[in-house]
Amino acid sequence: MALPAEASTGFKFDNVKRNQLLGDKGYKLPTATKTGTTIVGLIFKDGVVLGADTRATAGTIVADKNCEKIHYLAPNMYCCGAGTAADTEFTTSMISSQLALHSLNTGREARVVTAMTMLKQYLFRYQGHIGAALVLGGYDVTGPHLFTIYPHGSTDKLPFVTMGSGSLAAMSVFESRWREGLSREEGIELVKDAIEAGVFNDLGSGSNVDVCVLTKGNVEYLRGYSRPNERVFKEQSYKFAPGTTEFIDPAAAQGEDATAMDVSA
Amino acid sequence: MASLKPGEANLGTTIMAVKFDGGVVVGADSRTSTGTYVANRVTDKLTKVHDRIYCCRSGSAADTQAIADVVNYHLDLYTAQHGGPPTVSVAASLFQEICYQNKGNLSAGIIVAGWDKHNGGSVFEIPLGGSLHQQQFAIGGSGSTYIYGYCDKTFRPGMSKEECIQFVKNAVSLAMARDGSSGGVIRLAVITPDGVERTVVYGDRLPTQYSD
Amino acid sequence: MSIMQYNGSAVVAMVGKNCVAIAADKRLGQRALTVDMDFQKVFPVTDRTYVGLPGLATDVKTLSDRFRMRVNLYRHREERVIEPETFANMVSQIMYERRFGPYFVEPVVAGLDKKNKPFICGMDLLGCLNYANDFVVSGTASDNLFGMCESLWEPDLEPEELFETISQCLLNAVDRDAVSGWGAVVHIITPDGVITRDLKCRMD
Repeated sequence: MALPAEASTGFKFDNVKRNQLLGDKGYKLPTATKTGTTIVGLIFKDGVVLGADTRATAGTIVADKNCEKIHYLAPNMYCCGAGTAADTEFTTSMISSQLALHSLNTGREARVVTAMTMLKQYLFRYQGHIGAALVLGGYDVTGPHLFTIYPHGSTDKLPFVTMGSGSLAAMSVFESRWREGLSREEGIELVKDAIEAGVFNDLGSGSNVDVCVLTKGNVEYLRGYSRPNERVFKEQSYKFAPGTTEFIDPAAAQGEDATAMDVSA
Repeated sequence: MASLKPGEANLGTTIMAVKFDGGVVVGADSRTSTGTYVANRVTDKLTKVHDRIYCCRSGSAADTQAIADVVNYHLDLYTAQHGGPPTVSVAASLFQEICYQNKGNLSAGIIVAGWDKHNGGSVFEIPLGGSLHQQQFAIGGSGSTYIYGYCDKTFRPGMSKEECIQFVKNAVSLAMARDGSSGGVIRLAVITPDGVERTVVYGDRLPTQYSD
Repeated sequence: MSIMQYNGSAVVAMVGKNCVAIAADKRLGQRALTVDMDFQKVFPVTDRTYVGLPGLATDVKTLSDRFRMRVNLYRHREERVIEPETFANMVSQIMYERRFGPYFVEPVVAGLDKKNKPFICGMDLLGCLNYANDFVVSGTASDNLFGMCESLWEPDLEPEELFETISQCLLNAVDRDAVSGWGAVVHIITPDGVITRDLKCRMD
């Protein structure tokens, strides 16, 4: 049995007042890791393709050069996340477990609209304070589906979508080249090009391209489908000779007797 | 009154609904914007809340979708409990209740229109504060300011279905031409006792205006 | 000034060949005033998992105690020792619980799992995990540490080589950060045990 303090679920607010006070005193409160992202999705002839870049940023620093932004929701559903990294991570994993319970209860595979509704209602409840901008794609008993979900809880249903800071670059690729009835190969290629448009033209996006293809009864997660920014590894080794770093021998330090400082007048 | 939160998807819209002999015509543009970016150019702002009752949404996309979902749920429940469809005024009252009770947290301007066997076609408007107004026709959203004159001058009670459709097309396209937050295609729904006809007027098929 | 800079700190973890290392400075300050030069920021979780907690010192204390309690509860409930990845998820969960009133700490976890596979990860103050197979950095000197590690780290370093690399990365990073340094500690976690060393460091 858990202790009462650790048993409660949901968010805790016991630091809020203190943090507010520190903020009011003039201490700048830190910002969380954002995924200044490019994420996209499109519908093709027999399914959905999702795509994402792999850069995570904290301010102007690249916090992670190869992070995963296409999250698992259910066996037939995946979800790309942009915005506050922690929020996209935790929101999708929480909805994922609810969907697992849902399909265990119903004995059926969950539908994409169900996931969409759960996500939008959750985000709406938090009035935009949970900063998750999502592209949801999946294939269920009613066919392929693609949605965008905004942090405030609004949703759009479209045949091709982009989100994140690189969405404008990616959308320009989709708007010029998307058409109905794309083949699987064409779909993947278009998604790759859209993400690469974000990777190269948006400072918040970078590194590699992850792709996820969802078709009837099948999912193909292509991690690092395209790697246009492979690091050229340094040619010279910077290994240090043993003994370079001076450290205090714990055995020797043990015997050392500390003499008190003379502070008498 | 709640204003749009930063980064929130906005239906900076033109919406309208017009009563005619056999029912109502509802129409809307299709633009959703976040700031100056068009997030969706083919949005459907005409949302079905029951078989013959639609709402036109303006304001925050998240708020109006959430309200429409709640009303939709209540109307389904109402149908099951009463063994028959609700009237349009019941639907409108539900919308009003939600908009008024939560007026501090919502930015939603909604037009409710539809047909029922007691009152025939009817149109209700629920502007920002959560008041409820029954009207012969209603216009709403940021684009509506540009077409008050045109609508007041052109509307006649007892128009035919075709006249009514043309009126809506003209009005919405005039608003779309002047309002930066409205644009895309015109979406229409004609609600009559026989059912609901959904149509789309594409950007290159819009009625021509003097300024064209 | 940010609250994350109030006490000053630097933590780094690195992967080597069948080993991992985690290192931290030892300063505790109040803005520019150095108060303590032997302040612990890296805590043992198990025999082969360590956690580094750079950030606001009051939260470092609170969290290290809270983690200790949760790890003990885990051991009693599960009757086994927690794996580094499991512990990282536990930390992440505890951090995200305070999504709207966070602890001002950006934890780093380093350890060897039951198959002696190295595991390191970092996270932001909301608990967003950042897995890495090279190195993770955190604290006020994190920008400097990024630069040092990005150039000095290489794959498959043996424990003694890893010690030199992580030490030089940390030492040179904190020398260009005004609010961290004043002593440093390095833990090298190997399948045979943990080597802990206090580094000789500039004290200014």
